[in-house]
Amino acid sequence: MTGAGMNRISLLGTSPRNGTMLLGVMIVMVALPYLLGQSWLSITTEMLILALSASALNIMLGYTGMVSFGPAGMYAVGAYTTGVLMEKMGWGMLPATLAAPVMAGLVGALVGWFCVRRSAVYFALLTLAFSQIIWTVVFQWYSVTGGDDGLVSVPVPDFFFEITNCYYFMLAVVSVCLFIIWKIVNSPFGMTLQAIRENPNRVEFIGVNVKRYQLASFVISSVFLGIAGSMFCVFSGSAFPDYAYWVKSADMLVICLLGGIYNFFGPLVGTVVYTVLTKVISGYTMHWHLVLGGIIVLIILAMRKGVVGTLANYWANRKSAAA
Amino acid sequence: MAHTLKAFGIMLATAALAAVIGLAPTTVLAEKPPIKIGFIHTMSGPISMYGITSAAGAKIAVDEINAAGGVLGRKLELIVRDDKINPEAGLREAKDLVLKEKVDFLAGTISSGVALAISGYANRAKKIYMINIAQSTRITEEKFNKYTFRFTTNGTPYFGKGPAIALAKTYKSKKIISLGYDYEAGKNALKEFKDTYLKMVPDAKIIDELWVPLGSTDFTAYIAKMANSGADAFYLSAIYGGGELAFTKQAWSFGLYDKMKAVQPCAGDVETWSKVKQGDPYPKNALATCRYPFWAIKGEQNAKFVKQLREMTGLWPSYGSMDAYVIVYAIKDAVTKAGTTDTQKVIKALETLKMNTFVGPVEMRAYDHQAMMPTWYGIMRFTPDLPFPHITDVGVLGAESYHTVEQIKKVRGK
Amino acid sequence: MTFESFAGQALAGVSLGMVWFLIAAGLSIIFGTLKVLNLAHGSLYMLGSFCCYQVTVSLAGVPGNFWLAVLVAPLVVALVGGIIEVFLLRPIYKAEMIYQYILTFALVLIIAEACKMIWGTGYHSVKVPWPFQGSVAMFGLSFPIYNLFLIAMGPLVFIALRTLINKTNLGRNIRAVTENREMANALGTNVPQVYTGVFMLGAWLAGLAGSLWPPVSVVMLGSDMAVVIDCFIIVVIGGLGSLAGAFVGALILGLTTAFGLYLIPKLAVAFGFILMIIILIIRPYGLMGEPE
Repeated sequence: MTGAGMNRISLLGTSPRNGTMLLGVMIVMVALPYLLGQSWLSITTEMLILALSASALNIMLGYTGMVSFGPAGMYAVGAYTTGVLMEKMGWGMLPATLAAPVMAGLVGALVGWFCVRRSAVYFALLTLAFSQIIWTVVFQWYSVTGGDDGLVSVPVPDFFFEITNCYYFMLAVVSVCLFIIWKIVNSPFGMTLQAIRENPNRVEFIGVNVKRYQLASFVISSVFLGIAGSMFCVFSGSAFPDYAYWVKSADMLVICLLGGIYNFFGPLVGTVVYTVLTKVISGYTMHWHLVLGGIIVLIILAMRKGVVGTLANYWANRKSAAA
Repeated sequence: MAHTLKAFGIMLATAALAAVIGLAPTTVLAEKPPIKIGFIHTMSGPISMYGITSAAGAKIAVDEINAAGGVLGRKLELIVRDDKINPEAGLREAKDLVLKEKVDFLAGTISSGVALAISGYANRAKKIYMINIAQSTRITEEKFNKYTFRFTTNGTPYFGKGPAIALAKTYKSKKIISLGYDYEAGKNALKEFKDTYLKMVPDAKIIDELWVPLGSTDFTAYIAKMANSGADAFYLSAIYGGGELAFTKQAWSFGLYDKMKAVQPCAGDVETWSKVKQGDPYPKNALATCRYPFWAIKGEQNAKFVKQLREMTGLWPSYGSMDAYVIVYAIKDAVTKAGTTDTQKVIKALETLKMNTFVGPVEMRAYDHQAMMPTWYGIMRFTPDLPFPHITDVGVLGAESYHTVEQIKKVRGK
Repeated sequence: MTFESFAGQALAGVSLGMVWFLIAAGLSIIFGTLKVLNLAHGSLYMLGSFCCYQVTVSLAGVPGNFWLAVLVAPLVVALVGGIIEVFLLRPIYKAEMIYQYILTFALVLIIAEACKMIWGTGYHSVKVPWPFQGSVAMFGLSFPIYNLFLIAMGPLVFIALRTLINKTNLGRNIRAVTENREMANALGTNVPQVYTGVFMLGAWLAGLAGSLWPPVSVVMLGSDMAVVIDCFIIVVIGGLGSLAGAFVGALILGLTTAFGLYLIPKLAVAFGFILMIIILIIRPYGLMGEPE
């Protein structure tokens, strides 16, 4: 990890041509329900939520350099907070979905306080252990979480069952969240996070309380993971212990890596690539796990910067070669 | 500028491609459109034999019915999907089947978790969902909805009343120690068994309840405790499949089956024991329940079904296959009776369904949409008829082994 | 609880613990020397169990076929491990931990699918081999002799590994590379070769565990997932990189599983993780590991 990482992130920053690109994307996204069949629209909605999860994870991973093995835990906290409040306590959807990021933030603060005591592999293992504890609690606490059956009849208003409505709602929520994340990581706070990623010692040396920033990064990441989980609960009307399992965390990490972690758009592109890949491959062969594993291996060996990172690098080289 | 246009172009192309895929036209039929059944099952992984045989059983029925002219002049079409024992994946397939394939019926699933998830979705999507294996009573009791029907024994006769009645009729053990997987099915199974058995044999006691993490395959420490417990019988609570095989192997090596009587409901599952031969560890003399003891059922139709299934899959028939077969015929009967595939009318027809199947007469109970499928029980032995161990001295239980409507009313809080 | 049942319980817990030790030992030395968290370690174990099954089936009727399987299967797994290390891990040692973690995760997917393609989705069984069949009366239990054999294997392998590490040239090289890779390289040790050797050794241990366990259990898909998290817990508690730590950690987890039945079963599942967290916070290098 060198200074090049910082350059890569600011590359796709605020230049006007990217504004046009973004506008183009937004137009397509809004028009999507008229272009896609219902089934694909449903998958796209799932992709939106997954993209938010991956972007939330990347606040820690790509921006602060904190490798977490347990984002799924916070995601599950969000999903179950909304699910339990609606199904078991009769809360309305608005308060229940607002409570999710609050709860995820609180749990994130508690877990994060412990985890940032350590760094690198020990930090990662701590996040793994905590997310597995969350999984265990969800799995065992039948009376509240439905145990291994999960919550299956969360009373989401019928309006959201109609896939087009749900899609627009998710598009709005995710867009707002991504915009907020964008603002955060491009603020002075975000720059400090990136500096911590590059060289925590030096940052400590100039008087910044690194642990506090890392904890903040952890909490912010947890909050948005909680929102994503909550949205998925609304989308599917259910919540399952799987949401907290380490395999789900690994999936999120794969998505970030596929797209490229040193770039804001990396997790978004990674989500699309991952979803389309899995859908297409599993349509062709029963052995899609093998193909997916192979592709991940290839990406890690040959395209470590991920899709966006590699493309950005390529364009940057073309630009400097032309200059 | 070039970058923007290129990127924009890529985005548009992707969207267009997606649109084309999404809008791919379904084939235009010159004849009446088929009645589509979306069949979601576990087709991969260690318990896939249930899914594979279930799909085969459904296919046999579909082929028979189509050969005889279909239903209301329309052919039946079976679309099979894999749920990977994962509720999220199962839900995704259900959505795709309903939204894209526009199926008329949903069917399937082994895992009660997946079944609950699909049942919830079927309720919102207003599609009939017919279950052929998932046994949790929750599906038809607490979480009942009018779109879900079950055509297989549920946990009450299978884990609870069935073994309890069987034990009361045979060994009448007084000191029982239980061992179960620590999940809902396990907890419920023991509760059902206790409720029934302790009423039938009042001086009996469950002297201890042991719980193992779900999916574990090492029971050595637990077996040691069971062997030392002074119990005269043990009860296995929802331990099935690979875990059950491992348990039996380990218990056999500790001589547990000689030390005390065994109540092992899942031992009746053919799938688990089909590779076990004489001389291998098996649940010797255990009391088991079985949802389709094909060797003990008389009649030509049964023999024909068994033969067809073996030819199609190379596997022994599971109860899933028989139940799936019954489901397809139930669809035929109900749609014919209703005269339409309109969901609400078919629901009414299903609620009053009475069928003659090759395992006996089957009647649907309208209150909980549970078909009163028979449950068989017996003692696990080897016989010359089959290469694998199976229940013998077979008895059968009917509607009396399910929860009564009164009991369900209480559960639903009415 | 009588002494008898206590002892019987303990023995039962220990026999499982010893198999865990074999797997955890491999995971530990791979992390200790290569600094790689091998998520695919459970998959290597599962591969070992399938290979063992395959050998017993291919050589059915041959006397001692199980012991031949115990000989062959771990070697096959070690070979697979070598291929993984040379072609997949070597290129990314310089990259951050996350790449190795996710690469090994991809291997979990690949190996599991490969096992499914080769051996199908059913359950497979391996018989308890001569001369360890039958059981012996111990502590009021009829204790299977094969389990006693497993209990004995643990310390045996531990001593063998200790000897290898402390008393041989290869072991010296391993220790040197573990302590200070650059220095060892500067002093002429072929570091890549040592790395490959260590990974193959770790894989061999996983394969050995996978071959020894089937007679008392079932060979099936999913056994990779079932075992990998437990081994992570053991390795963290014992100390990443410490062989003795893996032994102690395995014993602790085996015994707590056995006695958890008497304590709070509900908490039993979370107990391992709680212990893991406590260790990571108070003494991250584990009970027997050393601070770097």
